[in-house]
Amino acid sequence: MSDLAIELHGVGKKYRYFTLDNIHLELAPGQIMGLIGPNGAGKSTTIRILLGLVHQDHGEVRVLGHRMPSEQVAAKWDIGFASDDMRLYEAMTLEWHMNFIRSMYPGWDPAYAQLLLKRFGLREEQKIKGLSHGQRVKATLLLVLARRPKLLVLDEPTTGLDPVARHEVLRELTDVMADEGRSILFSSHNTQDVEQISDQITFIDRGRIIDSMDKEAYLDRWRRLRLEVPLGVTLSALPGIIGIRQAGRLAVATANDFVPDLASAYVNAGARLQCIENMTLEEIFVANVEHSREEVEA
Amino acid sequence: MSQSVVQQLIVKDLRLHRLHILLSLGCGAIALALLQIRSEIPFVVGCVWFFISLIVLGSMLPVSNIINEKKKQNLAFVMSLPVSSIQYATSKLVSTVGMFLAPWLMLVIAGVALILGRSDIPDGFIPALLILSGMTLVGFCVIAAAAVVSEAEGPTIAATILCNSTYGLGWYLVIRNPAVRHDLLSPVPVWSSYMLTFLGLELAVVAVVLGAAYYLQSRKRDFV
Repeated sequence: MSDLAIELHGVGKKYRYFTLDNIHLELAPGQIMGLIGPNGAGKSTTIRILLGLVHQDHGEVRVLGHRMPSEQVAAKWDIGFASDDMRLYEAMTLEWHMNFIRSMYPGWDPAYAQLLLKRFGLREEQKIKGLSHGQRVKATLLLVLARRPKLLVLDEPTTGLDPVARHEVLRELTDVMADEGRSILFSSHNTQDVEQISDQITFIDRGRIIDSMDKEAYLDRWRRLRLEVPLGVTLSALPGIIGIRQAGRLAVATANDFVPDLASAYVNAGARLQCIENMTLEEIFVANVEHSREEVEA
Repeated sequence: MSQSVVQQLIVKDLRLHRLHILLSLGCGAIALALLQIRSEIPFVVGCVWFFISLIVLGSMLPVSNIINEKKKQNLAFVMSLPVSSIQYATSKLVSTVGMFLAPWLMLVIAGVALILGRSDIPDGFIPALLILSGMTLVGFCVIAAAAVVSEAEGPTIAATILCNSTYGLGWYLVIRNPAVRHDLLSPVPVWSSYMLTFLGLELAVVAVVLGAAYYLQSRKRDFV
């Protein structure tokens, strides 16, 4: 049996207007993976499949060593799941919810729950309907984190949060990782949040995983080359360059596998190198999605 | 462990809806109190209230306990707990039926006791009371089954409208039966074959409807 926290191999699911196609995903214990994709890319469907909530049409899913969806009940004892469309019972207090979860989970940590109450500025006697959106998200996370799950699966947890609340939530997730046995799968379309806490990044678009690697590898390998091109010269895409936009005498080449020789090659082709820029994760994400779509449509 | 989670889910539903149950019981108790007044109008009003409290509870519980959990996005919270979709459906069926049956039984037993305790109401009313109350139980089961299977507001509302508009006709057909009318005024309950067949049919429909709902849910592959 593999030690991986999450394993998806050749997973697919067909709906009338959407297909999740041949998903491969692996997450090692102690790692944080950011699953980034535009709205409707398949992030939530992937997460529902790996939680066993939706049956895949084909492919194999294992979570914490459990085959999904058949062993979902056993797996979910050690999975903490929160999503942006998850709501607690409005008429009840946070204390009621804490008691409800505590009655089920033997691993509930009351001291940690109290600590989270303080850190998140929540009051357990308050009814859920009286909480702001940010407080509701924090209350949900409290209920998830105080169970001390081995795997956290968070589907867009920071959506709609103000910057302070986002910072608090992300800091808490980073603290959770102090326990090296824990893993987090974190889906978002907000690349800043993902960049802040993730070790690995997976890009998903239109039901396909278009790229997956270490965050540092992305940031190291992706570059933007700004070039000045003499009139009449058209630059071609070299290996490692995924796209060139040329307007008059100016050209921008985007590299997904940058090596210094690429710059030399364009200089040898007659261009003048203005600068080589690092790219943010958001820029890498957008370039990756556009490139993937162009490839599919070609 | 999962059995205890199912139990916890059932207890959770009871806690969430205890106010509804208490309100229905209160309404039923007021109806029974009105029936204690020895006058025609309070008797009629009491009878109407008695059945309305059963009908309202039977229409409201499936919506608030099953449909609203999905509509108000609480289902995602429950899905994250260590339960499968069939265990969740089981907890919903048990809690919804249990929450209806408890006040239903209390009110029906109280109604029977009231008839037995009052000399001016013939005991022959008891079989009719059971049959008419049984219709509200059947109606509730149909609405609950529609809610559990469809998990959607539309079919549940359709089932509610269908059941609620059928009660009047059903009651009329029972009461207009000459044998039933005759037996109503009997000083002792008369368990005619017509009455027993009707009661048996009601119980059979309850069993078939709930069994079918459970069977259909057990074939469902996905939680959402």
